[in-house]
Amino acid sequence: MSVGFIGAGQLTHALVRGLSAAGVLATHKITASSPDTDLPTVHGLRKLGVNFTTSNKETVSKSDVLFLAVKPHIIPFVLDEIGPEIEERHLIVSCAAGVTISSIEKKLSQYRSGPKVMRCMTNTPVVVREGATVYATGTHAQVEDGRLLEQLMASVGFCTEVEEDLIDAVTGLSGSGPAYAFLAVDALSDGGVKMGLPRRLAVRLAAQALLGAAKMLLDSEQHPGQLKDNVCSPGGATIHALHVMESGGFRSLLINAVEASCIRTRELQFLADQEQISPAAIKKTTLDKVLQQPGVTMSGGVGRAGRISIFTQSNPRSKK
Amino acid sequence: MSVGFIGAGQLAHALVKGFTAAGVIATHRITASSPDTDLPTVAGLRKMGVNLTTSNKETVAKSDVLFLAVKPHIIPFVLDEIGPDIEDRHLIVSCAAGVTISSIEKKLLQHRAAPKVMRCMTNTPVVVREGATVYATGTHAELEDGRLLEQLMGSVGFCTEVEEDLIDAVTGLSGSGPAYAFTALDALADGGVKMGLPRRLAVRLGAQALLGAAKMLLDSEQHPGQLKDNVCSPGGATIHALHFLESGGFRSLLINAVEASCIRTRELQFLADQESISPAAIKRTTLDKVLAQPGVGGVGGVGGAARPGLNVNSRSSGVTKK
Repeated sequence: MSVGFIGAGQLTHALVRGLSAAGVLATHKITASSPDTDLPTVHGLRKLGVNFTTSNKETVSKSDVLFLAVKPHIIPFVLDEIGPEIEERHLIVSCAAGVTISSIEKKLSQYRSGPKVMRCMTNTPVVVREGATVYATGTHAQVEDGRLLEQLMASVGFCTEVEEDLIDAVTGLSGSGPAYAFLAVDALSDGGVKMGLPRRLAVRLAAQALLGAAKMLLDSEQHPGQLKDNVCSPGGATIHALHVMESGGFRSLLINAVEASCIRTRELQFLADQEQISPAAIKKTTLDKVLQQPGVTMSGGVGRAGRISIFTQSNPRSKK
Repeated sequence: MSVGFIGAGQLAHALVKGFTAAGVIATHRITASSPDTDLPTVAGLRKMGVNLTTSNKETVAKSDVLFLAVKPHIIPFVLDEIGPDIEDRHLIVSCAAGVTISSIEKKLLQHRAAPKVMRCMTNTPVVVREGATVYATGTHAELEDGRLLEQLMGSVGFCTEVEEDLIDAVTGLSGSGPAYAFTALDALADGGVKMGLPRRLAVRLGAQALLGAAKMLLDSEQHPGQLKDNVCSPGGATIHALHFLESGGFRSLLINAVEASCIRTRELQFLADQESISPAAIKRTTLDKVLAQPGVGGVGGVGGAARPGLNVNSRSSGVTKK
């Protein structure tokens, strides 16, 4: 089984590293493509032994499972480009935040009936095989396709199927979650350094404390509040610290963060649904590289004057 | 080698679970004691096959490495009780926040010339073998003692030696750290539930995201800020979320937390250094149980009518406040 990645950025790099570390896939059976060869991740992918190309069409022809790992606003553009190359065997897995299965199916149905599409939301800790992934299954994807994807993604962390309309919330929580954690470790280690610890030790202890606590919670049936209680001895240091956090509305900040990320994801989906991609959203040099590929045409007019029209039918989709 | 725990609470329970999961010691070679047999952790320890007793002296007799896993204000009391029973072989490891090596050595020196004392600060994730432990070595402890402790604690997580005067800061950071994480996870799950996720899935995803991020950081040479940058695509969902965190002073709250825990630890040390333990700090029934043990003599006067403090140091020690 061969796997391909449209896009060769952070996500592709993290997934390839995780999947190859897990031993589920040999790197020579992986192809990745991007018109931009200057990305630092491209170099990393090459070093891992992945077949790298500037041609998305080449990736499609060499793959059975095809991950779409580009930014959301690029998705329609990519689908137009590779649509004609999709075969029966292809399983398309979109990792793009806010891009719905139905929007992808609609585009691909112009070229083939019954395109097998799945949508997933994962996160960068797949690179150390501790990712968090959810996926939803499209209209024409089979049970075996879901099982295949779950096998792949479970080798690099937690993976479960969900209803598609939960994916934006998952984006806000575990998609963006690692960033909240990196921020927290940075701040905690600042605290440690303020109280006298050397930086390196402070970062190490902060990260280890978070890792250990998260593992305790995952391995336990207990409520996080109960686990918190167990760590707070009466009159002790920890409960003093917690009071300071509560006074500052610590919990509320995290709820705000999850909400903000989820809302922005829904906004991005709305923008994508508008079915127009302005030439301003793509670098002219990138666009030219793609258009130079044999067989690639764009529907509608391309140029400074016109907009690239990426859906041939207008699609009345309700805003979430 | 046998290991003993004075105290059979959360810490003893977590360490025993971790050590046995790691296979570094068999439970029948572990003894734990507490006058209070009603603690939920006592049942847990029994179930694991640990030898439980109400007699601290018995624990001392059966152990080579002796962990002091009681609350800081109880330490002087315990040292008075077990002092006469300490032998050459014993390595005393205190896990009590804010209690200095020198205060422990001073007490034990009344009974033996060169007590081997070490001080460590660990945390509850030792129970899943992902603890964070630091230790400092006392005057009479040898290199091998440090290596032994590091072997034990290294089997249940990260372990490193530090200068003793860093231990209070470590308490504020990784000692209390898990509580900060549990609070954060509760809140993150609330956020997920607010946006439509079922609770169980939200808790799972939140914890997994935190675990994965921490592991990435530990496995990477990169700065946390760089890793954060890598997750924030331009105009994307994550950077929008981060703005909220920054606007609310998220980072500052965490610095405050580490500081507050560290400061409280130093306060506790100061209280312990005052060398008097008021009868009000111990349950009368517990005190009676201990005093009923053979060979335990109360130092100074203990009684109902007069209210003298239990004088826990026979010489006053000039320990400076940190």
